[in-house]
Amino acid sequence: MRQEASSLEACRPGLPASGEQGFVNIQIEKLGKRYGATHALRDFSLDIGDGEFLVLLGPSGCGKTTCLRTVAGLEQPDEGRILLGGRDVTWLEPRERDMAMVFQSYALYPHLNVYENIAFPLRVRGQADNEIERQVEQAAERLGLAGLLKRRPRELSGGQRQRVALARAIVRRPNAFLFDEPLSNLDAKLRVEMRAELKRLQHELGVTSIYVTHDQAEAMTLGRRLAVLKDGVLVQAGEPEEVYLRPACLFVAGFLGSPSMNFLPGRVDGAARRFVTNGISIGLSPEQLERLPDGAPVTLGVRPENVELSRQPRQGWLAGRVYVSESMGNENLVVVEAGGHRISCRTIAEMRLDFEAPVWLLFRSGRLHFFDTPSGKSLWP
Amino acid sequence: MKALLKIGGACLLAAAAGTTLFPFYWLVTLSLKREVDQFAIPPIWIRFHPTLAHYYDIFWVRPFGLYFLNSVIAASVSTLLALAIGTLAAYSLARFPRPEVSFWILSTRMFPPIVSIIPLFLMLRWANLLDSVLALAVLYTAFNLPFVVWMMRGFFEELPRDLEEAAMMDGETRLGALWRVVLPLVRAGLAATAAFCLVIAWNEFLFALVVAQTDAAMTLPVGIASRVTQYEIKWGAMSAAGVVAMLPVFLFGAAMQKYLVRGLSLGAVKG
Repeated sequence: MRQEASSLEACRPGLPASGEQGFVNIQIEKLGKRYGATHALRDFSLDIGDGEFLVLLGPSGCGKTTCLRTVAGLEQPDEGRILLGGRDVTWLEPRERDMAMVFQSYALYPHLNVYENIAFPLRVRGQADNEIERQVEQAAERLGLAGLLKRRPRELSGGQRQRVALARAIVRRPNAFLFDEPLSNLDAKLRVEMRAELKRLQHELGVTSIYVTHDQAEAMTLGRRLAVLKDGVLVQAGEPEEVYLRPACLFVAGFLGSPSMNFLPGRVDGAARRFVTNGISIGLSPEQLERLPDGAPVTLGVRPENVELSRQPRQGWLAGRVYVSESMGNENLVVVEAGGHRISCRTIAEMRLDFEAPVWLLFRSGRLHFFDTPSGKSLWP
Repeated sequence: MKALLKIGGACLLAAAAGTTLFPFYWLVTLSLKREVDQFAIPPIWIRFHPTLAHYYDIFWVRPFGLYFLNSVIAASVSTLLALAIGTLAAYSLARFPRPEVSFWILSTRMFPPIVSIIPLFLMLRWANLLDSVLALAVLYTAFNLPFVVWMMRGFFEELPRDLEEAAMMDGETRLGALWRVVLPLVRAGLAATAAFCLVIAWNEFLFALVVAQTDAAMTLPVGIASRVTQYEIKWGAMSAAGVVAMLPVFLFGAAMQKYLVRGLSLGAVKG
């Protein structure tokens, strides 16, 4: 086996040693990929800086996994190119790009034990046995796998398998880490734990990373930068807080945040200086009036945490009735029916509300979003 | 009632085992009996004078050793070749599906083999390969290939692609991933397929009869049949040769049993 590895190595002059390149940024340029008639990716461009942790977020089928697999070299694009540290790698084999990938299924080799699984990328590179041993033990130590090295993957729990997959990725120093929804098969508690560990690990190793997920909480917490995809198109990229606070369109606004943003379709009444929708009207500031087209269909967006709720009637507040109230322990999520709309809001845990209880709502004026209804584009802020 | 069912079941199993095993018993004892005892009435079941004369006859008087060697060469070479070529074909068809190609490959097994005898005979004569074991190995390879492709394609399709993709991300070529990750995982399927190929090639009669014209290319099945002559039937020699022909397949089957059961049930249940 060992012999074979080194002889294989001899006929592979193209295989770069791990971490050969110093500065590894990834540039994705106008990437396009079709499957039959469907566009999995369209004109997708993104730069990922050296050491950056980028999260690709979107609903299933939005093209995020296709994008990752194209960067990995497991898929070939129909258009565009991918640069790795300035070098065009679009048509290179995965092994020539020297990236490490963690799969959703973990993809551990079932016929090898944990040690050999972690050692696999090093064996392929024909490294010396004692060197392999040192590196495997280091990676295993780091991920708390030291006692499990003799086990087969099927004898491990989901969390342990996940760690082995991570160890296999970090045992060498690749040009980039690619994560394809690596936490989605774990139970909720473990997922949160691993999420934090992963973030720390990436920070310590400082390796450029792309992380694909459909979980907005993962995206918000993990990424230093966030790219949101929809139908194969990049709709917004930026820091998580930026994307959360200033979503570029209705889709991003609705996708980020849980429970998601309330949307009220209506129009701007310039003469009355108000936004009106059936049963509800909200005063607008001069700045807002300047940016919002008079009379055009506009959608108001407000996040649940920016809706204040009162049990006593208040001047200028919106009257409604409780549709349903859910206790989360640390807070309540309340859905209120007002003016024919269902509006969700967060309240403190102590506020107990019965079905049909009369309540009054106020949208915090500084935290309102306005979108052009036909195109979904953000008009404010 | 329960006891009755149990007894009934045991009887049924005994009957089934008896029907299956009796021919083997008869074959083995026949090969060890003197000619006078072979068809004695009433039959001599156990207390006969055992003799190895028939075994001596086939190996030292007749060239059954050569037939045996020919059979081993033709069967093992064709099995190895069919596995090597068929596995690669099956893997590519599993990963880059071309239904029309797959069907065409299978269709080559749909006509009765006798149909191809005359063209094959002419081709072999033209290639100067008549009466050679090599010709048999090539023919058996060709006839086992579709079978290998279809069996192995099923096994490969069962295997998640993630595994070989992980291997490629770890630095393997596609062939390297096939060799180091995929093939070890379809061992059971490979063993089952190999067993089938081996048995088919080992027992093949028709092509061997046409190709073999002298002892040089004669295999065991043809050799055994040739003991039926115009004037007499050499029952003892035929039985002894039958036992010899059975043994390797029997041993191979026993050695592969663990894999065979897994290989045959692989794909039966998704899991």
